[in-house]
Amino acid sequence: MATVREKGYYHWEGRLTESRFPWWPITRTGILLAFKKRGFRFLFAGAFLPAVVFLAGIYISERLEDFKFMVRGSERLININPAYFKTYLANDGILFLMIMVLVLGCAGLISDDLKHNSLQIYFSRPLRKQDYLLGKMAVVFFFILIVTLIPGLLLFVFKLVFAGSFKFFLDYPWLILSVIGYSLILTLFFAFYTLLLSSLSKNTRYVMILLFMIYIFSDILYGILNGIFRTPLMALFSIKANLQQVAAFVFAEKLPHAVPVFWSFLVLAAVCGLSALVLHRKIRGVEVIR
Amino acid sequence: MTTVIETKSLSKWYGNVLGLSDVSLEIEAGITGLLGPNGAGKSTFMKLITGQMKPNIGGVTVRGEEVWNNFRLFRKIGFCPEQDAFYEDVTGWEFLTGLLRLYGFRPAEVTGRAARALEIVELTADKDRKIRSYSRGMRQRVKFAQSVAHDPDIIILDEPLSGLDPLGKRRLIRLVKDFQSEGKTIIVSSHVLPEIEAMTSRIIMIHQGKILAQGDIHGIRDLIERYPHMISVRCADARAVAARFVQDPSILKMSFGPDARSLVVETHNRDAFFSRLQSVVLETGIEVEEISSPDDNLQAVFDYLVVR
Repeated sequence: MATVREKGYYHWEGRLTESRFPWWPITRTGILLAFKKRGFRFLFAGAFLPAVVFLAGIYISERLEDFKFMVRGSERLININPAYFKTYLANDGILFLMIMVLVLGCAGLISDDLKHNSLQIYFSRPLRKQDYLLGKMAVVFFFILIVTLIPGLLLFVFKLVFAGSFKFFLDYPWLILSVIGYSLILTLFFAFYTLLLSSLSKNTRYVMILLFMIYIFSDILYGILNGIFRTPLMALFSIKANLQQVAAFVFAEKLPHAVPVFWSFLVLAAVCGLSALVLHRKIRGVEVIR
Repeated sequence: MTTVIETKSLSKWYGNVLGLSDVSLEIEAGITGLLGPNGAGKSTFMKLITGQMKPNIGGVTVRGEEVWNNFRLFRKIGFCPEQDAFYEDVTGWEFLTGLLRLYGFRPAEVTGRAARALEIVELTADKDRKIRSYSRGMRQRVKFAQSVAHDPDIIILDEPLSGLDPLGKRRLIRLVKDFQSEGKTIIVSSHVLPEIEAMTSRIIMIHQGKILAQGDIHGIRDLIERYPHMISVRCADARAVAARFVQDPSILKMSFGPDARSLVVETHNRDAFFSRLQSVVLETGIEVEEISSPDDNLQAVFDYLVVR
C-alpha cells in the first residue's frame, strides 16, 4: 500500500516588489482567453484583410503604368490622400469587422468575471478597481488598435517607401496625427461601449447579441427616423454615422451628414460617460444579496 | 498575544437584508474557526475583513491598518472564497500564474511560487489540464493554492473543506496547521462543525449576522451553563449507578444504552456530577470503564446556542 506523505509549506525567499503595471495581468489574461476561441482567431486574422487590400492600393497607385489594365477608369479610387486613410479607418466594412472582433473576443471581458465570481478573487489582491478596468480596456485597445492604428501607420510608411520620397508627408504633415487621433477615439469609444454591455449580464451570449444588435439597430433606427422626419439630425442615433462623422472631421474631409460634428462627439462622449457610470456601480468585489 | 485583526461595531446590510450586525472582535495569530449555518454572515464577515466590502458602520483593522481601500495590505492576505471563482477554459497553471502576476512578482518568482503552491496541494501532475476537467476536490485545492501562493501572513478560508474527500480533508487540515506553526493567522469558516474542531479549539460562533460566542470551545461551553451537559458513563452496572443519582436535583434526565452498560446523564452541574460520581464509584466498587461527554463538541454547543 502506498505511503501517504504529508507535505509542509516552504517559504519563498524572494522579495515582494510593487508592480508598476498592475493592470497588465488582467489584460494578458483577456487577450489569452480571446485567442483560445478558435472562431476568434480566424476572424482576427481576417480583420487584416482590408489593410492588405489598401496596401495593394497604395502599391498600385505608385505603379499605375504597370497596372493600367486593372484600374482602367478607377484611378480616383486609388488616389492616395487623407480621404484614402479615412476610408480605411471608417468604412462600413472595417467598422463591422471591429464590431465582430469585439463580439467574439471581448464580450466576456466583464461578464465572464461576473459569471465565474472572479471579481472577489481579483479584488482580494492588490488591485484597484481602476487597475481592473484599465486592464479590461487595454484588451479592447489591443485588438482595435492592432487593426486600426498599426495598419494606418504602416500604410503611411509604405506610401513613402513606394513613392521613394517624402512628398506625401510634406503635403499632409498632419495626417499621421489624424490616423493616431482617430484610431484612439475609435478605440476609446469601443472600449467603453464593450465594457458597458459586458458589465450588464453574466451571460456572455447575451452580451454578444447586445454588442452586435445595438450597433446594427442604431443604424437601422437612423434609417427609419430619417425616412420619417427627413432630417439629418437623426444620424445622431447611429453609432456608425457618428463615428464616420467624427472621422471626416479628424481627416479634414466633408462631413457625411449635415449635422455639427460637435453633436456626434457629444453622443459618443455620452455613451462613454454612461459606461463609466455603470462600470463604477457594477464592478464590486462581491455579489450583492437581493 | 497581539491582535492581528480587530473589528469595531462592524455592521453591513444589503438593502433591507442584514448581513452583519455590530460585530466587535479581536482575532489573534493562529487558527480561528468561524462557525455558523448557511446565511449566518460568515462570508460577509470574511469579505469585510479582506477589504472587499465597505462596512456600513464600524471598521476593520488588520495589524493596526484600516483594511478598506488599503489595497497594498492585500499582499498580506490570502483569500479562498467559498464559490468557484475561475475561468473554466484556463489550466490550473494559467490560473495560478495569472493571479500571481497581480502581485507584481518577477516571471521567475511567479513560476516558482505557482509550482510550489501546486505541489503542496498535490496538483502538479494536473497543472496543465483545463479547470473545466477538474473534479470538485481538485477545484477546491487549486482555490486553496491561489490563497497561499503569495505567502500571506493572514489566510482567510471560506468553507475550504467542502467537496474534499476524507484524505483530501486530512491533508488540508494538516496544511492549515502547518501554516499555523509558521505564526500565520488563519480564519476558517465552516458549517460542518467537526471539521473546525479538527483544526482549532478557538472559535467564533455567528448566527443571523450576530456573534453568539467567541473563545475556546470549553470556555464557550461554560458560558452556556444554563443548558444541560450530557455525560456518558460506561460501567459494569449502569442501573446501579443510576439509582444513586435519582435523588440528585442537578440531574435532569437519565437514559440507558442497549446493553445496560452505559448510562447517559443530562445535568445542569457537571462538576457536582463528577464529584458525586467519584463517591458513588468508591462506595459501590463498580468499575467505570469510560466517562465521556458526547455533547462536548462544537455540534452540541452550536445546537444549544442556535437551535434551542
